[in-house]
Amino acid sequence: MSDRGILSSLRYLFADVIGDDDAPTPFFPEGLPEAVVPVASHAIHMLIEYQGTSYAQLYVDRLKRFVGRRGFDDAVFAEIARLMAARMSYEDPIRIAQLTLATLEDSPAPVNEVKKFRIDELVGALPAIAAEPVLDTLEWLGWLRLPVSIRFSTASRWGIRRLKIEAGLKRWRLFSVRYLKERGWVERWLHMIDRSLTKQPAAAPAIVQTAEMITGYGDPYRQGMADWNAIIDGLVKPTFDGVLDLTDLGAAVAEARAAVLPDPRQAALKRKIAEIRARAPAEPNA
Amino acid sequence: MDTSHLAEHAGTAGALFASIFVVATTTMRTMIPLRIFGILANVVLFLTAIPAHNYLVMLVQSVMCFVNSYRLHQMLQLVRDVKKSVNSDLSMDWLKPFMTERNCSAGEMLFYKDEKAEEMLYIVSGKFKLVESGIVFPVGAIVGELGMLSPSKVRTQSLECIEAGLVLSVSYSKVEELYVQNPAFGFYFLRLSSARLFQNLETLQKQLTQLTAASAPKPA
Repeated sequence: MSDRGILSSLRYLFADVIGDDDAPTPFFPEGLPEAVVPVASHAIHMLIEYQGTSYAQLYVDRLKRFVGRRGFDDAVFAEIARLMAARMSYEDPIRIAQLTLATLEDSPAPVNEVKKFRIDELVGALPAIAAEPVLDTLEWLGWLRLPVSIRFSTASRWGIRRLKIEAGLKRWRLFSVRYLKERGWVERWLHMIDRSLTKQPAAAPAIVQTAEMITGYGDPYRQGMADWNAIIDGLVKPTFDGVLDLTDLGAAVAEARAAVLPDPRQAALKRKIAEIRARAPAEPNA
Repeated sequence: MDTSHLAEHAGTAGALFASIFVVATTTMRTMIPLRIFGILANVVLFLTAIPAHNYLVMLVQSVMCFVNSYRLHQMLQLVRDVKKSVNSDLSMDWLKPFMTERNCSAGEMLFYKDEKAEEMLYIVSGKFKLVESGIVFPVGAIVGELGMLSPSKVRTQSLECIEAGLVLSVSYSKVEELYVQNPAFGFYFLRLSSARLFQNLETLQKQLTQLTAASAPKPA
């Protein structure tokens, strides 16, 4: 066996540990509308840098589901492509380290920022096998919501070295507790779009846009996620299940989104959802 | 009479003999012969450690022999169960020892339509419904067993838990691992999957015949 053969076998054996990804760069799906190509192209490059080629392939596979689908125009498809890329490149501490390191190339001025996370957010970025026992212990101690401040700095050699180590953790990102949650979220969002294209195509753009509700990290991220779930569970899913008869689901979603406030108790949003539900006819069309 | 030199020679000869088994073990390509040769190497190394009273080696070899025997038993049991399943009810119950438990609450989605399929599920308790077709699975049903062999490897429908329950899951990679490790298992697994596919086709054909008969114009 040649040295190259032995090396490639070793790389394959330890692929998960060293984060080796030898998948080829993905191509656009056949029949992808012209309007979506620039967005998808940017997204593929960004996701390769974010995680790797296999992850970019997952993005392309998800896009394929909507190629040739009727009931929505190319602009909505482009929005799906843009927002899906944004959610697939969610901001965990690893991503923030990657972005901070990227500023080294763009600007000579050093970056020195302190970001606030919750401890479960930090631990959740680690592989599930290591993170789960720690999260269980933190929950038992009642420390799961402990705030933690982390400095991301390119001002010193040690700071840059630390950022490189943190960014290097991306090789285990797909084994993390957080990734499982994010993957579940993206699939649920796509599922809701798919169901809306079947049941209420006019509501599809509004459902696509709900992904804008979830951004960033820390408290704003958690608040956005809770609000999104409240709208989907309170209005969208019941309508698709035939339990609730909302003839203009898109308008209902927009109305509920307008009631979103930065309130952890979600009082205004819950009141608005109850109000919309109360307005719907008593007998569903299911 | 001093017998220590005899023990020394016996030890050297035994170690040489054991080395043959150790080398032979490493040359095995599949799991069952590998375990058998592993057990033989453990026994010979245990015996060679007796004259020298090397208790640590004896202990290590005993533990390894136990692990090898247990794994061999598991593999043989698996082949036997799959073979039995092919010849009887085509069930996939034999996969249970390799599955992990997962509790599901009502409203939880187990997977979504078009999502990449990576595991098969066995329903132990509760109620689970395919969202798109409305089909409710009975307890004991296997979901996603053919996905492993399909070229696209995507879910064709979404599965929702409608009544809290327990499912067992096993990843396709684990089944692939068993398949590669054990050619006999692989052969029977293919036969079983094909038989289940043909069974599905037969059911669909029956349904089609019934539908055709029902929609056919009745004689005046």
